[in-house]
Amino acid sequence: MDLLGPIHDILVIFLGSVLILGGLGVVLLTNLIYSAFSLGCVLFCISLFYISSNSYFVAAAQLLIYVGAINVLIIFAVMFINHSEYSNDSHLWIIGDGVTSVVCTSIFFSLITTIPDTSWYGIIWTTRSNQIIEQDLISNVQQIGIHLSTNFYLPFELISIILLISLIGAITMARQ
Amino acid sequence: MMFEYVLILSVYLFSIGIYGLITSRNMVRALMCLDLILNSVNINLVTFSDLFDSRQLKGDIFSIFVIAIAAAEAAIGLAIVSSIYRNRKSTRINQSNLLNN
Repeated sequence: MDLLGPIHDILVIFLGSVLILGGLGVVLLTNLIYSAFSLGCVLFCISLFYISSNSYFVAAAQLLIYVGAINVLIIFAVMFINHSEYSNDSHLWIIGDGVTSVVCTSIFFSLITTIPDTSWYGIIWTTRSNQIIEQDLISNVQQIGIHLSTNFYLPFELISIILLISLIGAITMARQ
Repeated sequence: MMFEYVLILSVYLFSIGIYGLITSRNMVRALMCLDLILNSVNINLVTFSDLFDSRQLKGDIFSIFVIAIAAAEAAIGLAIVSSIYRNRKSTRINQSNLLNN
């Protein structure tokens, strides 16, 4: 969506702050149902990010599948499993949490220092020069459909078979 | 630059997803953090597809595949969690040692 510059910036910054808080809430909230709703908020904001980066089909798929199916499934599972015992964390768990937080923050900062060092504009110029030739007036959804039925036909069918088999397996595992 | 901001957000989601996946005591929370990791990969795919490949949109197609795999993973994972809960009456992640004894 090609909005005006400041509106787009404000929207992206707002979505980013909501996403940061929601990501912290998924991990750190003690009650599991609050954490599931926070995950739903994060997924919704990610779908709005997809809309702001011109890919409407993925935004609709994200909204339907993640927010509508996976998040509802997780909330149902949380309600079905009423856990209450939450105590006796031994000393080893605390040390493990500290080591893991150190490792994850080091991953985070190393990747953040890598991102501005990469010369994105060189890559953009080399790819833009190829794209001028294949300029056409097909919309994004039509482009995705054409690719799914020509180039990516075999992975598409394999994904459908994987979904069928995994759902049958989930039903047979959950109904006994 | 705006897309670097989005990339930093995706790195943040990835690292906090790994942190939650390793340190969570509950299996459902581990599944939620796995969804966060897959979403950060999806953000990267869609952003680069919009930036570098805005005619062909192959990154969008890969993100659709990742979404489908995530749906299958959530269904299987929650079925396994409910089955373990039925046997053990607990969803703590270190008590699922049914193969052990």
